[in-house]
Amino acid sequence: MSELGLRALSGDGFQAAPALDESRLMLRFSGSGDMNAIDPLSQYLKQVHEEALRLSVSEVSCDLQQLVFMNSSCFKSFVVWIDTVKNAEYGYRIRFLTDPNLHWQRRSLEALRRLAANLVTIETPPRTSQD
Amino acid sequence: MSEASDLGARVALTLCFEPLAEQIGSLRFALSDLCKPHLGDPDELSRVLLAAHELLENIVKYSTGSTAEFHFALERAGTGLRVRLRTKNCAHPERLADVRRRLDALRAARDPVSHYDDLIRAAAGRRDGSGLGLARIPAESELELGYVIEQDCLILTAEGMASQKAQP
Repeated sequence: MSELGLRALSGDGFQAAPALDESRLMLRFSGSGDMNAIDPLSQYLKQVHEEALRLSVSEVSCDLQQLVFMNSSCFKSFVVWIDTVKNAEYGYRIRFLTDPNLHWQRRSLEALRRLAANLVTIETPPRTSQD
Repeated sequence: MSEASDLGARVALTLCFEPLAEQIGSLRFALSDLCKPHLGDPDELSRVLLAAHELLENIVKYSTGSTAEFHFALERAGTGLRVRLRTKNCAHPERLADVRRRLDALRAARDPVSHYDDLIRAAAGRRDGSGLGLARIPAESELELGYVIEQDCLILTAEGMASQKAQP
């Protein structure tokens, strides 16, 4: 498999850190997805899709456990991305990792799962002893 | 909305301000700190903050005047709490017409979650804006959304009930 060609997104109050684990592209989001994050996130998810296709990954995992909030416009960026994957010739699964203490995540991500139930999964990783 | 000092408000906040994007996060955190001692359920707090955030962003995006208003109240109501949010801002006529169309459609919808799901599917093809912010409030915050248009100003309200934290 090729090396990861996707860089980290480091915006004002919003970050995304990519990593590659065998056939899985992992993205760790942190900060707050508010108005300043709209355009950077939209562009970044386009790059994520291109990179996922280039690497032929089977899954993109989005870790949102450090993402304290996401506004409707950032949410729309995920909608557009999921819709693109749905309609792509080559698809991959999208997994969201959530923090149950960030209550908005359950409702917002459930709406994304309803958009593409066979593509999107939502998980709450078990807490480690260091948490 | 009633004046801040009446009705036994647990929290009452009125802001008249020049709406700027960078203020919204701070306001959300301030509301969180103010409401946390009173709301019995962290999920309810999250829902209130989501509604406040979307309403505040709405005025930042679409306000045409130099100032806008944001009112927030958490009041005792029976054994629970009533949450009331209200924003007022001037906006372009096209925006007012768009909001009227969207909120009338929302009001006519039987189920705000199904309506929101329809808007999400439509949002994938939208080039400008998400069209989701206001519909997200009843769908995810479970607050009732209302509006009034007065000349060139838009007044949005979001109201609902929440449980009160048990006092020690």
